[in-house]
Amino acid sequence: MQFKDYYAILGVDRNASQEDIRKAYRRLARKYHPDVSKEANAEQMMKEVNEANAVLSDPEKKAAYDQMGQGFRADEDFSPPPDWGSGFEFSGRGFGDGNMHDASEFFSRMFGHGGRNRHSHQMRGEDRHARIVVDLATAWTGASQTVSLRVPEMGADGQVVLREQSLQVTIPAGITEGQHLRVAGQGTPGFNGGPAGDLFLEISFRPDGRFRTEGRDVHGHLPVTPWEAALGGSIQAMTPSGPVEMRIPAESQAGRKLRLKGRGIPGNPPGDLYLELQVVLPPAKTEAARDLYRKMAETMPFNPRQEIRP
Amino acid sequence: MTITCILTDDQPLTLLELANACQVEPAWIAERIMAGLVITPIPARLDGALFGSRAIERTRQLLRIENDFDANPELAALVVDMMEQLTMLRRQIRQDHPVIDIL
Repeated sequence: MQFKDYYAILGVDRNASQEDIRKAYRRLARKYHPDVSKEANAEQMMKEVNEANAVLSDPEKKAAYDQMGQGFRADEDFSPPPDWGSGFEFSGRGFGDGNMHDASEFFSRMFGHGGRNRHSHQMRGEDRHARIVVDLATAWTGASQTVSLRVPEMGADGQVVLREQSLQVTIPAGITEGQHLRVAGQGTPGFNGGPAGDLFLEISFRPDGRFRTEGRDVHGHLPVTPWEAALGGSIQAMTPSGPVEMRIPAESQAGRKLRLKGRGIPGNPPGDLYLELQVVLPPAKTEAARDLYRKMAETMPFNPRQEIRP
Repeated sequence: MTITCILTDDQPLTLLELANACQVEPAWIAERIMAGLVITPIPARLDGALFGSRAIERTRQLLRIENDFDANPELAALVVDMMEQLTMLRRQIRQDHPVIDIL
C-alpha cells in the first residue's frame, strides 16, 4: 500500500489551520467538482481531495494521521502497524457523501474500521450508488449487463478491504436518462444480522451523435435530398428502434421538425420522436452535376438572402 | 446469476427510503421539501409521500454542494438548478452539428 500525503493533495502546510484547510478544500472542490469541472481527471482528483479533507478536517483522524505519517513521503510503501488506531476514536462518517467504496485502499485500511461496526445492535447496511452506461437502443429492447463495483468488506484482521464485485443485472425496456434502478440487497452488508442496503444504478446513455433524449422524447436529424424536401414523398428513416417509412411534406425547408407520435422511448404514455430535416446537397464533383446546378440557377432564379438587409 | 432491477419511478421510494439512499436524516430532506428545494412529492404532503429518480439525484446533488462548499440550502438548490440546465444544454450540443469556421 502506498502512503498518501493528504497535506500535499490539498496543497497546504503541515501546520495549516483548520480555516486554511477549509479554504484549500473549497478551492480544489471548485476546480475538480465532477458536476462542473472540465479537467480530464476531475472525478479521481475530487475523490482524493474529499479523502484528504475527510482526514485533515476531522481532529481525531488528523491527529492519528499526523502521528502515523511522520517521516513518510507520498507514494512511499506503507503499512500500518497491528495496533494502529488504538487510542483514537473515529466516530465520524467515511468521507464525502459517506460512500466508502470511493475510498482509496490507504484510507480504508487507516480509517475504515471505525464507526458503525462497533454497534452491538442490528443495523441495516448502507445504500450504494453507481452509474451504468447503456446504448440508447436499450431503452427499447431492455438488456442484461454486467456491473463492476468495488465493495468495502471487513477482513479477518478487522480492517476494511476493497473487493471487486461483478453483478449481472437486467435493465428493463422503457428506461430514460437519469432514472435509477434499485437492486435490493446489493448495498453494503448489514451489521449484527441487519439487512443489507440496496444498490441504486443511475442510467446514463452512451453518447449518440444522431439522437438525444429529453425524458421519453427523442430528438434527431433526418438528412434529405433537395428534391425530397421540395417535392415531398415517402422515405425510409433510421430511428433508434429501427427503420420506419415516413412521409415528407412537400415544400419542406431545412430545420423543419417532424414529429412521429409515440415513436420515442416506450412507456405509458410513450415519448415522441422529433426529426429535424437536414437538406443535404449532392456533391458537384462531375461536369454533369455542375451542369445540372447551372441549369437550376437559370430556370429557378432564387436569392435566399433577399430578405436580409444590411 | 442475473438480478432483476426495479425502476424507482415504477416503484417510488418513501421518505425514509429516500433518506437511506442519500445517507441523510429524513428531517434533512423534509426541511428542504417544505422550502421547495428538493422536488414536490406525490401526493404533495410528507405523510405517505413517494419519490422517484429525480428526487434521488437532486437530493444527492444538494447534499454534495452543501457539504463540499458549506453552501446554504437555497444557494445549493440554485446551483443544482443551473447544473440541470447545463446538463440539458450539453446533451443538445453533443447532438448538434459541428460548427465550421469560415474566414
